Amino acid sequence: MKQDFITFPLHVIVHPFDGFWDMKYDNKGKVKVALTFLLLVIIAVILRNQFAGFLVNYNDPRYLNSLTQLVTIVFPFFLWCISNWAITTLMDGEGKFKEILMATGYALVPLVIIYVPMTIASRFMVEEETAFYYLIMTLSTIWFLVLLFVGTMTVHQYSVFKTITTMALTVIVMGIIVFLGTLVLSMLQQMADFFINIYRELIFRT
Amino acid sequence: MSAKKWFLVIAAASLLLIQAAPAPASAASTPYESYNYNFWEEAVPAPAAYVPKLSISGADIGIGDFVEPSDMVVSSSGMIYVVDSGNARIVSLNDQWKVQHLFNGYEKDGETVAFKNPSGLFVDEEENLYIADTDNGRIVVLSKDGNLLKTIEQPASDVLPKDFKFIPLKVTVDRAKRIYVVAKGIYEGIMQFDEKGQFIGYVGTNKVQRDYTEMFWRLLSTKAQKAQMVLFIPTEFSNIDIDAKGFVYATNIDPDSKEPVKRLNPSGEDVLKRFGYFDVVGDIRYRIAVGPSKLIDVKVIGNGMYSVLDANQGKVFTYNDEGDLLYVYGGKGNQNGTFKIPVAVEHLGENQLVLDRGKSNIVVFEPTKFGSSVNKAVKLHYNGEDEQAVPIWQEVLRLNSNYDIAYIGIGKSLLMDKKNGEALKYFKLGMDRESYSVAYKRYRREVMKEHFGTFLTVLLVLAAAWLAFRLVNFRRQKRKLTISNFASQTLKEGKTL
Repeated sequence: MKQDFITFPLHVIVHPFDGFWDMKYDNKGKVKVALTFLLLVIIAVILRNQFAGFLVNYNDPRYLNSLTQLVTIVFPFFLWCISNWAITTLMDGEGKFKEILMATGYALVPLVIIYVPMTIASRFMVEEETAFYYLIMTLSTIWFLVLLFVGTMTVHQYSVFKTITTMALTVIVMGIIVFLGTLVLSMLQQMADFFINIYRELIFRT
Repeated sequence: MSAKKWFLVIAAASLLLIQAAPAPASAASTPYESYNYNFWEEAVPAPAAYVPKLSISGADIGIGDFVEPSDMVVSSSGMIYVVDSGNARIVSLNDQWKVQHLFNGYEKDGETVAFKNPSGLFVDEEENLYIADTDNGRIVVLSKDGNLLKTIEQPASDVLPKDFKFIPLKVTVDRAKRIYVVAKGIYEGIMQFDEKGQFIGYVGTNKVQRDYTEMFWRLLSTKAQKAQMVLFIPTEFSNIDIDAKGFVYATNIDPDSKEPVKRLNPSGEDVLKRFGYFDVVGDIRYRIAVGPSKLIDVKVIGNGMYSVLDANQGKVFTYNDEGDLLYVYGGKGNQNGTFKIPVAVEHLGENQLVLDRGKSNIVVFEPTKFGSSVNKAVKLHYNGEDEQAVPIWQEVLRLNSNYDIAYIGIGKSLLMDKKNGEALKYFKLGMDRESYSVAYKRYRREVMKEHFGTFLTVLLVLAAAWLAFRLVNFRRQKRKLTISNFASQTLKEGKTL
């Protein structure tokens, strides 16, 4: 338990090459753990938006909605995993969907361990010190991106250049999926409307 | 039959109910909606700061209707001057709205010269009139009895082009008797003349806005096409006023400008403070069909406050010295208190006057309790008497609990009194992050100083506890180790046995 949820994730974020290798080949990672970190990130982001200090919190409290925030994190997370899986299957990637999910999930760890303490610290900051807040928040994002990069590279056994290309393509595929999804939805809606109209005309015919 | 009866009874009862209902508080209601913008740039309803009191036309004061009046001035002694452009005259009234003098022209070398479409006026402290006699192309200076003091004709200077035509529109004068003129077709800035009427130069140029799409098209087009394009020229100023310190306030009507109001120091730099949540531009939210505010007049009220007049929506916006929007009143319409073509805003004592060219009348607005409280508090704050301002700000908050400036005002006073913890609360309500930071810094230091002993004790106790825990743990593990060693040893021995 402690090994799965604490020791191994901490090992991964400081030794990403080693860690992601172990995750893939020694079966040290668990999907359960990755999803837990996803949940923790959501909680950390909600906490930050709600409780970050007045000086750094520019959110309008009237429009904060935890459900919206849940969707805005969960949806891109799975969209990324699916797009990445779709593109790497075509590009000779060795990763399975489960491994992509785990790599992405473990890459979220720095966000969890930085957001929560920084949210608390920001409440005790004055204007001049908020620069540190923003700096550390940016660092956590960079750390996340580096881990995502190394994770993708290790899971699929890619070269550096190929990883960058794949990641860029993944983003494009994400856009395409969203586009197609909207298209299908609107078509379904029109079809439904069509049948409803036929039904209406039938009952109003005498 | 009975249904009809019932209906009648119900109708009668409803009539009774309407009669019985108390009259709505329309006595003080206004023909326009009053609002202010909050931190999130939303227009939030606010109590009216000014309500229309009466309107006065030329016929009301017995001199025939004004024809296309274009400017109005209230002098320091309280006299009201109206520039009645269409009738080519200046009307002076006292504060009881009695006509004192009609200036139709002036005598020069025994001849009477009439004004021709005068459109701007300034009255200095000695009640001398500076008239922008637009179609005659000159500035006329008259004494209060109508005697000619001097005229400023078409200026000659190396700076000016040969075919330059002087068409003065608005005029203002500073303490040193320097004359500032907004003239038609002059894009270089405000024309400045010395006391003898010599042209000195321009002050305060409007910046040209950079339009990147336009620049892109320009890059692609040929020379012939370029010649057809609109020139990028700065916009003209629309009006000017001067404050007690000799700083010139100027407005322009450039729709894209973020800085349509300027406060020019003697060397011509813009020094207007814009510390509010949003730009000093009038309306920050508007329908696209209506367009942004078109500021055509500015009036310095004193104590750092100034009002600007939006011709587009017929509203008057009043700001304090730091660029916070204090209140908005007015609107377009036909009711009393709304305008058709407002052209000038003035203030007379506590009241504000707006000259409407479309209706040819002057509307007098008087402050409500809310408006006068805000004015009083802003005045006290401007003069550094924050402590006295606090009860007035509290009164303002009682009338409008959305009034951020009041929260900030109270917060600043508390900060001055070193009540940092309380000030924090007020700055947070007023969404003033900068002051909050200052207050928090002091508060934090205060708390740390106060609790430093406790803090250190807790730290020491915790450290000691941790050490003790480690020690006990270490011992226990050692014992476990020896026991297990012993056990394995005995096991081994048992095996060998």
